[in-house]
Amino acid sequence: MNSASPVAVAMGRNMQIRPATSAANLADPTKILPQQRLNRPVAPHLTIYRPQVTWVLSSLNRITGFALSGSLYLFASAYLVAPLFGWHLESASLAAAFGALPLIAKVLIKSTVALPFTFHSLNGIRHLMWDLGRGLTNQQVIKTGWTVVGLSVVSALAIAFM
Amino acid sequence: MASLARQTPLFRRSCLSASRSPMQVMAFHASAKKQILPPLPQVIHGTTNDAVEVPKTHATEGSYHWTFERIISAGLVPLTLAPFAAGSLNPTMDAILCSALILHSHIGFQAMVIDYFPQRRVPKTRAGLMWLLRGFTLATAVGLYEFETNDVGITEALKRIWKA
Amino acid sequence: MAALRSTSRLVASSRPLFRPAFASRSYATVGEPAPSEQPKMKTFHIYRWNPDEPAEKPKMQSYTLDLKKTGPMMLDALIRIKNEMDPTLTFRRSCREGICGSCAMNIDGVNTLACLCRIPTDTAKESRIYPLPHTYVVKDLVPDLTYFYKQYKSIKPYLQRDTPSEDGLEYRQSQEDRKKLDGLYECILCACCSTSCPSYWWNSEEYLGPAILLQSYRWLADSRDEKTAERKAALDNSMSVYRCHTILNCSRTCPKGLNPARAIAEIKKMLTSH
Repeated sequence: MNSASPVAVAMGRNMQIRPATSAANLADPTKILPQQRLNRPVAPHLTIYRPQVTWVLSSLNRITGFALSGSLYLFASAYLVAPLFGWHLESASLAAAFGALPLIAKVLIKSTVALPFTFHSLNGIRHLMWDLGRGLTNQQVIKTGWTVVGLSVVSALAIAFM
Repeated sequence: MASLARQTPLFRRSCLSASRSPMQVMAFHASAKKQILPPLPQVIHGTTNDAVEVPKTHATEGSYHWTFERIISAGLVPLTLAPFAAGSLNPTMDAILCSALILHSHIGFQAMVIDYFPQRRVPKTRAGLMWLLRGFTLATAVGLYEFETNDVGITEALKRIWKA
Repeated sequence: MAALRSTSRLVASSRPLFRPAFASRSYATVGEPAPSEQPKMKTFHIYRWNPDEPAEKPKMQSYTLDLKKTGPMMLDALIRIKNEMDPTLTFRRSCREGICGSCAMNIDGVNTLACLCRIPTDTAKESRIYPLPHTYVVKDLVPDLTYFYKQYKSIKPYLQRDTPSEDGLEYRQSQEDRKKLDGLYECILCACCSTSCPSYWWNSEEYLGPAILLQSYRWLADSRDEKTAERKAALDNSMSVYRCHTILNCSRTCPKGLNPARAIAEIKKMLTSH
């Protein structure tokens, strides 16, 4: 009897087609699998994985860290070469330039600087806790994750209005 | 039985084509069009029964590095809180904060280079980026030293800009 | 037994005879489908790629099933599609009860075992099924796990000791020591956690990934194993363990409810003490 399911037989889809693509390599059968491997696609990953607090906050931690450290590096290096180009990056001139901005711009700039800072700092504490082997259950990770999000927004606003 | 089975496909096909087909094929577009470092074609050395090569022990890149990184990170917690409590920091504390920040940043950038530019895949880019990072870190260290000695210090400067 | 069944069926079938007339109307509706019983059609988008046509790009194929005629689990839907709609659909399955790890795949964005994953009954939402993320695809939903198994072999997943047991019989351990292996030995190596880890996506050649590290810790934590120092030395480099950045997708996705992230944290703690 046919081993395919009755419906498959009924639909005429029970026939397996085996194209002769591997026939050329039959001289060396050990080459068939390596040859097939070269054609294999990679399954989609980042674009299809469901956004979850775990990896979204982790990537935000890296992005904010990159932004904060990057600004520190850019500022310090620019300060080093400022005399060569005649830039004014002393604290007095920076404070004067910032003070000249309208209030809304000040608050906006302050919060965009403060939010990555508060998030990265608070999430860093979460990471240090994990490195001690604590708070690693799923429920704790979700709870502390959203706590960090809430606290960093609140503290960033508090700092922005300081 | 067999004749019945062979007759039905025609009947079923006409049914399916008349109504909306339950199967639809769509082009796949989940992956980005332009990937930065797309994975290479799959090559596997040896058989399934040959274990992957075990890397050499290198504690300065492994456990010592990790412990050092944690000490710096943990040290940054009080150093970050202190300026908020005290208003700003004295020059010594400011210098300690700056050094910790530079080390923390350097280790962070280093991790990004190791993660995204694999040694086996792009050895030259990897080495180049590592040297670029070292140069940048040195420039930052000197720049911050200049700022600490010639200006008011990082915490005091931030405070003045913030209150401006 | 058979006789018992036939009598009970007889009794059941004869029951309507003695039913009062007012109940017979409600009984009649059981035989025919009630007008309110609409089919519950749900669409499944499934990743397809055929190695016999390597030039063709992977594509998503849609299948619509009536959930009323399908079992409750994703694997039931896949088997029904393969049996009744498209026998070319390829996937691995074996035990259908979450112990073999064959049917690991990415369902609605999360790695899990198709046999343990209920079909969401919300028919408005369409389900999307992909192979395990960032794996090389053999065909459709079948990933090539050869390298994963080679990595597993590299951690020497077996008891290593030189000294014989005191009484020459078995290697005994206390109940407390045995307890340390709970949550570790249950791992079925389905690779759900490793393929959910972005760090493993980018560096699967050198980073061992959560599943293998959980297994590694299983032998590090075993009181009977005597090669703890060698095992630690094999892990103490920049790639094998320390590509773990505690993203924690692994513990979130484990279909067996294990905690690979905790195992890796314990390994890191162990490695700091020389």
